[in-house]
Amino acid sequence: MPLLQITGFHKRYRRQVAVERVDLSVGRGEIFGLIGPDGAGKSSLMKAAAGVLSYEGGLIEAFGVPLDSETNAERVKDRIGFMPQGLGLNLYPDLSVEENIDFLARLREVAPADLARRKRRLLAMTRLERFRGRAMKHLSGGMKQKLGLVCTLIHQPELVILDEPTTGVDPLSRRDFWAILTDLLRDRGITALVSTAYLDEASRFHRLALLHQGQVLDQGTPEEIVSRVPGRLLSFRTSQPGEALRRLQGRYRQLDYDGHRIRVFVTATGEAAALDELRRHLGDLPVRQLEAGEPGLEDVFVALLRGRGDADREGVPRLPVNGRSHRGGEDEVLIEASGLCRDFGDFRAVDRVGFRVRRGEIFGLLGANGAGKTTVIKMLTGILRPTAGSGRVAGADMRRAAGAIRQRIGYMSQSFSLYRDLTALENIRLYGGIYGLGPGLLQERIDWVLEMAGIRGHESDRTAALPMGLRQRLALGCALVHRPQVLFLDEPTSGVDPLGRRRFWSILTHLAREQGVAILITTHYMSEAEHCDHLALMHAGRLVADKTPDALRRELQQEVGELLELQLDHPLEALERLEGQFKGVTLHGNRIHLFAPSLSAAEPVIRRLLADTGVELRSLRTRVPGMEDVFVYRMGLLEREAA
Amino acid sequence: MKASRVRAVACKEWREILRDRLFFTMAFGVPLLIMLVLGYGLSLDVKNIPFAVVDHDRSASSREYVHRFSESRYFDLVGYVAREKDLDPLLADSRIRLGLVIPDRFGERLQGDRPARVQALIDGMFPFRAQTTKGYLEAINAEANRELLVDWLARSRGMTRERAVQQVTPVRLQQRYLYNQAIESDWSMASGLMMLVLMVSPPFLTALGVVREKESGSIYNIYASTVSRGEFILGKLIPYVGVSCFNILVLWLVATQLFGAPFKGDPLFFFIASVVYVICTAGIGLLVSILVSTQVAAVLLTMVITFIPAMLYSGLLVPVESMSPDARLQAWLFPPRYYLEITWGSFLKGLGWSDLWLPVVVLAGYAAVLWSVGFLAFHKRPRR
Repeated sequence: MPLLQITGFHKRYRRQVAVERVDLSVGRGEIFGLIGPDGAGKSSLMKAAAGVLSYEGGLIEAFGVPLDSETNAERVKDRIGFMPQGLGLNLYPDLSVEENIDFLARLREVAPADLARRKRRLLAMTRLERFRGRAMKHLSGGMKQKLGLVCTLIHQPELVILDEPTTGVDPLSRRDFWAILTDLLRDRGITALVSTAYLDEASRFHRLALLHQGQVLDQGTPEEIVSRVPGRLLSFRTSQPGEALRRLQGRYRQLDYDGHRIRVFVTATGEAAALDELRRHLGDLPVRQLEAGEPGLEDVFVALLRGRGDADREGVPRLPVNGRSHRGGEDEVLIEASGLCRDFGDFRAVDRVGFRVRRGEIFGLLGANGAGKTTVIKMLTGILRPTAGSGRVAGADMRRAAGAIRQRIGYMSQSFSLYRDLTALENIRLYGGIYGLGPGLLQERIDWVLEMAGIRGHESDRTAALPMGLRQRLALGCALVHRPQVLFLDEPTSGVDPLGRRRFWSILTHLAREQGVAILITTHYMSEAEHCDHLALMHAGRLVADKTPDALRRELQQEVGELLELQLDHPLEALERLEGQFKGVTLHGNRIHLFAPSLSAAEPVIRRLLADTGVELRSLRTRVPGMEDVFVYRMGLLEREAA
Repeated sequence: MKASRVRAVACKEWREILRDRLFFTMAFGVPLLIMLVLGYGLSLDVKNIPFAVVDHDRSASSREYVHRFSESRYFDLVGYVAREKDLDPLLADSRIRLGLVIPDRFGERLQGDRPARVQALIDGMFPFRAQTTKGYLEAINAEANRELLVDWLARSRGMTRERAVQQVTPVRLQQRYLYNQAIESDWSMASGLMMLVLMVSPPFLTALGVVREKESGSIYNIYASTVSRGEFILGKLIPYVGVSCFNILVLWLVATQLFGAPFKGDPLFFFIASVVYVICTAGIGLLVSILVSTQVAAVLLTMVITFIPAMLYSGLLVPVESMSPDARLQAWLFPPRYYLEITWGSFLKGLGWSDLWLPVVVLAGYAAVLWSVGFLAFHKRPRR
């Protein structure tokens, strides 16, 4: 009997269908993931499962109780913990950490002795002990999220339902979050239903469901889902990328080029077959550094979406045909910041930040909510005066020539800054007018924007009615209508589905490579960070790292070694033993990740450690560390320095 | 219903009221502010009406006639102008509300025992004020006529002035104003404003208190927990009703001490009746909080359904009896008129339980209905 059984679930808001015909079951002791972009229906499903939202069709049963009425829903609420979406939004900003916990505990009638004990343990686990008396509104994003988790767990629920607990949180806090969930799983056999918009977190789940537009695309273990779309992800470099792309374009639909490497998803079984096939199509073209990898869940998601025909509706992206352009002015610095500081009262939001972005370069600024990314952008665009430091954007001084800067840059914010009641075309016209384009030039630019953003056919649709991905590209088009040489993008891909995100990134690389636009982008998605030429991580107002993705990865490998992935039949039992011996031991569903100097040196040690536990090591291999691994490591070092 | 859970909700709410600066101001500052602003601003007394004169006569009689107005406390002489035309811009700019035109040979005609005409131009833009002005004008004019008559009788019949006065006014009206002897509208207004403030402030606090949890998402703590809706509503409302009870005392002090309104009734009765009223109006806030899900909408809706009836249909500005039938229906529908009866009864008439039990019962009935509907309409498993 599963703990949570969902059959034929259907939910609509007035006439709009949010979720339809969803069947899921979550077993005891399982961490089940719901993955999908904004508007996929995750929240509706989770609220209904927590008994806090009524629904129109199907049935949800929790602990064998049908949640079909308010009275029935009340019967299971003492065994469920629910954390709604939004960082710390379910907490009370004016209450202290301890008062927040106490309030939730009293609501749940936790006995005082139990409360004291659990509070001690959970606060220690989340490293919030020092902040007991601090008002919740003064906590950082990651701390708020951990406090939210503590409040959800204080009555020791058997089932926790966590709605996007990791959105907008820095990678280290996200790691912490998963570690806490792992501990609870090990110590109490807790069951969890967790939603996320980050596909790279999928490996954390025992089982998961991919949600898109209110429907389940697929569900199963991560391995099962990946294996359903057989194929290999190949990547290589070539001196003739244009020709290579021309030869591959008709045959493969998942084709990417970021100016360095061409990535292509080849649906062939087995690595050798895939490589053979690719070589055959490329013919006599010179190919370097050809690598084969297993597709990630994101590739699978994209493949599934393409299978549904969504891709055709989105249109075929145009890929850049040149590598990094070698025209004159290649090394021209278009964005330069040095020693930028900004105080808000006593609080230093940005602390001595300095970097450079050259023509045709994509610069990624990463960091959690509140790390200071947006403040940096606002200072560089002349919206906010810096407390100290200087900056130049497109040749103009940011302190003195804010007006000139605004004429030379494009800016797109999280909220897309479009007028929702205007049509797509009217929005472009409006922005053209704001930037003072004459009628002839405006028509030319409108044509260019429609082409570039793939909006043709939707010109007279109302902006509010456009799909998220299209709206995002329209916003980009509006930011580019006056042909700026510098583009600032503040979390432009939040909440957009993977297909839309890929499409968006192909436009960005095109702009950078073909038109030499310097792009500064902020994002939460670590997988997107890989597309950047240069990465900087911000933490508590300071710049922590500033290098190319490959250099950052190499540095990590030099300092802590290779990232190994172990597949085990009972990973929880092995976890503690491995933690004593290796760095960075983390649980990912049925697998464990850890750092070791090398695979050959680590294998005998691992086998010896596991020998008398009865845990079977099913496979052991090295993995290429992601940007998330890099930043977790870097920030971990910083925190230890601070402590 | 478990007291411990009610207490948990109430304690949390109380802490938030004290710590959130905006909410604290809303709870304690705004009621006082409304009371002061309206108390000083919304005076219904018409005094010191500014006026100007065109005196074509320029005689002793015309000056004496004008003097009757300028020395009364109801009129304020701004000055003399040469022509009628010059009055227009003054009236248009609202620098004067009344223009008097005294014709040529005014004094001469009066001396010759012939009637004279005086023209009065009244600013009729605000009918209430114009009516009052007309009343004062006629009274002063009548007084002038009476004295002229007395003079004439004394002169022509050789009577003493006292005798002449008796002849001219055979019926004498003895007036005494009850309850508000000085007919100071401030007295009625100050106590009446307690009705207004206590109609507006508790529902604002309650509605915002619930809706901000809906807006932020912390309401899900309640939905997802084992707290029953009754416990939640009670725990949530106790602090707000508490704050409002404190405000009753503050407002009462302002009305009696600052505005000098007399309080003649039974303080205990008045306090209990006020608490019932506050519970009732807090119930309006509860209903609003169930209907809307954003704070902006809550503010707008609360404003419309509390401020307007309290201002227009309570009897504060216009007596309920002299309203149009539609307006009177609205007056009967909303609670403020009942509390106004209690307030004026307590402050000015010195009434207590025996005379005012009915409006208290009506208010208690309102409270019971509002809270029951609020309780039944609140769901821990809503549709959206």
